[in-house]
Amino acid sequence: MSALDPRREDESPKWGPRESMRLLNHEFVRVDAVDKVTGRARYTHDVRLPGMLFAKFLGCPIAHAEVKVDVTAAKALPGVVEVRVVREGEIRFLGQPVAVVAAKTREAADDALRAIKLEITPLPFAVTHAQSLAANAPKVGRNGNTSKVNEDGDGAQVAEAFKRCERVVEATYEVPIQHHACLETHGVVVDVPTADSGTVFHSTQATYGSANEFKGPLKVKQVEVVNEYMGGGFGAKFEAGVEGRVACELARELQAPIHLMLSRRDEFLIAGNRSGCVQTLKLGGSKDGKLLALEASVDKLGGLGGGSHGGFPFHYEVETSHSSTRSVYTNLDSNRAMRAPGHPQAAFGMESIVDELAYALGIDLLEIRKRNAESDVHRRQLDRVAREIGWFEHAHKNAPDLSDATRKVGIGFGLSDWGAGGGPACKVTVEISSDGSVRASVGSQDLGTGVRTYVAAIVAEELGLPLAGVTARVGRTSYGAANASGGSTTTGSLAPAVKDAAFNARRAFAAALAKTLKSDANDLSFDTEGVLDAKSKRRLSWRDACATLGPTGVSATGEWKEGLSSNVIHGAQAARVEVDTRTGEIKVLKMVCMQDCGLPLNRTAVRSQINGGMVQALSYALFEERVIEPDLGIAMNANFEDYKLAASKEMPEMVAIIDDEDTRGVIGIAEATIVPGHAAIANAIHNACGVRLRTMPLTPDKLLMGLAALKPLKPLKKD
Amino acid sequence: MADPERSGVDLSRRVFLKSAGGLAAGGALGESALAATNSGLFGDGVERLTGEVEIELTLNGAARKVKVEPRTTLLSALRDRLEPPLSGAKLVCDMGSCGACTVHVDGKPAYACLLLAVDCVGKKLKTIEGLAQGDVLHPLQTAFCEHDALMCGFCTPGFLMSISACLDTKPTATLDEIKESCAGNVCRCGTYPHIFEAAVAAQRVLAGGKR
Repeated sequence: MSALDPRREDESPKWGPRESMRLLNHEFVRVDAVDKVTGRARYTHDVRLPGMLFAKFLGCPIAHAEVKVDVTAAKALPGVVEVRVVREGEIRFLGQPVAVVAAKTREAADDALRAIKLEITPLPFAVTHAQSLAANAPKVGRNGNTSKVNEDGDGAQVAEAFKRCERVVEATYEVPIQHHACLETHGVVVDVPTADSGTVFHSTQATYGSANEFKGPLKVKQVEVVNEYMGGGFGAKFEAGVEGRVACELARELQAPIHLMLSRRDEFLIAGNRSGCVQTLKLGGSKDGKLLALEASVDKLGGLGGGSHGGFPFHYEVETSHSSTRSVYTNLDSNRAMRAPGHPQAAFGMESIVDELAYALGIDLLEIRKRNAESDVHRRQLDRVAREIGWFEHAHKNAPDLSDATRKVGIGFGLSDWGAGGGPACKVTVEISSDGSVRASVGSQDLGTGVRTYVAAIVAEELGLPLAGVTARVGRTSYGAANASGGSTTTGSLAPAVKDAAFNARRAFAAALAKTLKSDANDLSFDTEGVLDAKSKRRLSWRDACATLGPTGVSATGEWKEGLSSNVIHGAQAARVEVDTRTGEIKVLKMVCMQDCGLPLNRTAVRSQINGGMVQALSYALFEERVIEPDLGIAMNANFEDYKLAASKEMPEMVAIIDDEDTRGVIGIAEATIVPGHAAIANAIHNACGVRLRTMPLTPDKLLMGLAALKPLKPLKKD
Repeated sequence: MADPERSGVDLSRRVFLKSAGGLAAGGALGESALAATNSGLFGDGVERLTGEVEIELTLNGAARKVKVEPRTTLLSALRDRLEPPLSGAKLVCDMGSCGACTVHVDGKPAYACLLLAVDCVGKKLKTIEGLAQGDVLHPLQTAFCEHDALMCGFCTPGFLMSISACLDTKPTATLDEIKESCAGNVCRCGTYPHIFEAAVAAQRVLAGGKR
């Protein structure tokens, strides 16, 4: 008897036992893989409409200025259709768009950008933490240069607790501003609106939500947002943005479709960043490594925005703790959500200082974590990643290698968790046609996480069909309500609704079939062979069963149901790093992550997410940093030549382990996997050679300075 | 007064290349192609191209006519001027730093954002749309699907063109050579381990002659 036999279920959908699943919890190829490897997948950037104009922004080249814009000369150029002011007067952040051009070709648009005359009166600015806090600093925020301080915990109690500690360590850790660096920049292609409706192609994490934002500037009641493929989001793409608003206005007023995708420079300067921070931590522990007291002070650096921080203590139990957190404003664009907002920053501080205390106490780096981790899941995962990274054979577990060797290897650890979860948001439709085809539709966007694929797989699993037997349609508002993809809540919200829709479609199909076959719907079961009537033992192929349906087929909708999704996930990561003490070169040799995620819908895609999180953390650790020239207030690396991302040469051996002891319902995992990798790398560097790098990125120059401070420089020896 | 282009703040390699390009283009065009252009003698006696020029490109085995300006990049010609467009190659960095626009020029990988379309006349061009033979995927494309060497997919055409150029010219390529071949490509989703697995699997197929 099939697991899908309706008599074994009650009135609500259930995932059923994992061992009887054919597709889910298995590895399978994405349904859109072929479209992606052949260049057929059409992204917003690729949309071409008849008579379409290319629009581009001109941004203010300095951080704070009074700007006047003269578009006369630019407007007169051949091929240029429109040049207009986006913003004049006081410009408060570097790169803020001041003008927009629309032209028949890209080249003409570039001509127009060059011909715009800006009259710029520079104003005093602050682009660094120190500049913003200086005694004579210019006013940056509307209400000063810092927010009010957010206090958490009892400082006096913590001060008392430090007295009981065997050892206390104190240090300041600095995290730079990072960029999302989505390969597809932000932007839209806006079609000419009709009197009451419009269509906007939008690279967005909130297909369904952004439709409302376009209604105003398009002056229409109804907007269809199309986003069938998108080139990354990572938290930066929740808003219509200035680009969305301006493109809608241009399309409406010029009566021409507008293609406005940000340039790479604009993408760096105005379309999002992960806030940096300066965090000073003081941590004390008992002789046996129990964490007793933590005092933390955090300055968040999110440009004109508030910044983001995961809070202290982070993933470890500390008997008593106190933190004071504030935002420090600079003349840079506001930070946006970025994959696990605030958590990687907090992880760098916390994992580093836990390590520093472990060395001070002479305690094994794995032991101190297991003793203080908040969760037993973390303890179990730490053991596994330690085994995988070679910890138990590793020579220096509680002291760095201070030998004269030139190449040294170290190991570091880090933990993550994330709330994820989901709730009612999505409306999914499953249609079964008389020709045997099955279609599942929902407005949700697929950021590259595999949404389209699991929508098809959940329906195929329920109906006993092969994956190819179901067509999933996603990324259009007309396909049905969907939540924004934020906080790893897509899977927790969407997958249960897909399951419910598939469950309802199967029952509706069974009811229709029972009528035709003059049998009882409860006797009909669906499996890979088709439909079986348990009473008459009659079997119908899927195709023949569908052929009994009328021309309208069967259709059912589904919504989120309690019990199919879960929340709160855990991960542990380890890194093995080699440093060259002569050149300062830092080479990550291996990274391991063990991650729980409830029911893995597609194990292949889950593994990709885990690896992707580790890769981004490695890149953050070693390379990524927004650089603004502090005296001139100009961008030094707003392009992919100077803003280095880790690539093929930097890739270590990577091991992604799905924690199968987790038997809960589905949970999204994107955020958790990016949280601790960079901290594990920093810890591994110290373990390798005794240099504690407290300022990211972890670069060779900093390592060499650290080595020089460890001991007096000696002449180089040949080896 | 300030102008980011002129102040040198954002002077990319191609801004230079584009301004120098009109001159270089003349030499690459055949007699017949030149006849159709708005070429002219300027005061310094050097022939330059101006305005729109209709050229013929050999794309994925077919001759395609396209109107370009002398400064139009190959990438822009493919994506913005061809009708219908070939939009598989992606515009990402616009300065030869990310590899998302990689195509084959006479069998060698090249960044389409750094080439002028007029310089590509008479050369055999292959884009991602021409990597499969009809409905039969290149072994590397098949391996990318099977090993999940793609997530958002925006970098995927570029990686495929870089690595396929390597494997097609050297089916015995080692993993290090494969990594070298795509060292000029960037993937933000972090699919590298899967790309390497896929490339090694495809290499085995190609070296084994199973095509």
